[in-house]
Amino acid sequence: MEEYAREPCPWRIVDDCGGAFTMGTIGGGIFQAFKGFRNSPVGINHRLRGSLTAIKTRAPQLGGSFAVWGGLFSTIDCSMVQIRGKEDPWNSITSGALTGAILAARNGPVAMVGSAAMGGILLALIEGAGILLTRFASAQFPNGPQFTEDHSQLPSSQLPSSPFGDYRQYQ
Amino acid sequence: LGRQLLPHFVFTKACFKTQPLRWGLREQKITVQPRTVLRFTQKTFWTQGPDPRKAKEDSTKQVSIRRNQREETGVSMSQKVREAGRDVSYLIVVLFGVGLTGGLLYAIFKELFFSSSPNIIYGKALGKCRTHPEVIGVFGEPLKGYGEMSRRGRRQHVRFSEYVNNGLKRIRVKFYIEGSEPGKQGTVHAEVEENPGSGQFEFRYIFVEVTPTRSIIVEDNRSEQS
Repeated sequence: MEEYAREPCPWRIVDDCGGAFTMGTIGGGIFQAFKGFRNSPVGINHRLRGSLTAIKTRAPQLGGSFAVWGGLFSTIDCSMVQIRGKEDPWNSITSGALTGAILAARNGPVAMVGSAAMGGILLALIEGAGILLTRFASAQFPNGPQFTEDHSQLPSSQLPSSPFGDYRQYQ
Repeated sequence: LGRQLLPHFVFTKACFKTQPLRWGLREQKITVQPRTVLRFTQKTFWTQGPDPRKAKEDSTKQVSIRRNQREETGVSMSQKVREAGRDVSYLIVVLFGVGLTGGLLYAIFKELFFSSSPNIIYGKALGKCRTHPEVIGVFGEPLKGYGEMSRRGRRQHVRFSEYVNNGLKRIRVKFYIEGSEPGKQGTVHAEVEENPGSGQFEFRYIFVEVTPTRSIIVEDNRSEQS
């Protein structure tokens, strides 16, 4: 079954771009709903219409910005996986910094450095949150008996010998 | 004729000489008068100026003193307490934010830089697999490593478990490798143990599970039977 698992990287760019657009549109819609409601004249009909107008005007713009960011980030991340041949949190942090720098390129080198720092720190925080969630989830499901089972399955005498003979001569 | 002309010239010269003297005298008189007038006016300004200013200053000082006294009583009664309450609440919010951010940054810092983190173990084990000839022979030269697949197609975190044996901490890491050979994927199991002397973590074993019936031993330092 694992042999037919699809390589995630080229398709993940499209998935992440769509996911980022959705996130930006929904989040932007919520914020613009409140903003339009407060910025309208007195009267429930006026406020609802103002809220709807603000959502229709600005939520797609925010979704577009999120989609650009997510798509570029995922592209750089997949490129780094291909180049480095290794997936680890460093890819995310570097991709975040490079995405921030590239998208701020029109504003000059100083703005690029600032945006790169902000992107790197943001992705570091996201990775930190992911790590903490993983630790928290694993702490709630202790798997003590697996140690003894796994350990009993690993005596050196039971491991099959390699056809190349003694492998230590290569080291 | 020459004698008659000479006295005429002399008279004309005398007239010219006398006129400029008169003009000079008039000019001197004119210049002296405005100076005296200006002096008088300046004196009058000097005498009038300071007195009303000083009086105004005194009155303003008295008024300001009274106002300050009234304001101090008001602030000490209620406003100081309100300001202190606001400051404390704002400080609590700021400390909460800084603490949360610090916790997240510490988590990622620990993951990337401590020798006991699963990510470091995964990197070292992958490096050893890449230099092992039998592993290269089975999977192909550009060897890739990755962790568990998450819901969104990211494979950056490896599965690990920690336990203690004979008072020494051990960490077991599991990740996957694949190379240029199509359809071949290996599962790597690596375990490190804490060195009681240096505190660093050293490998106990690294082996690659190619198929359920075949494994490649990359490194095996299990001198202890436990």
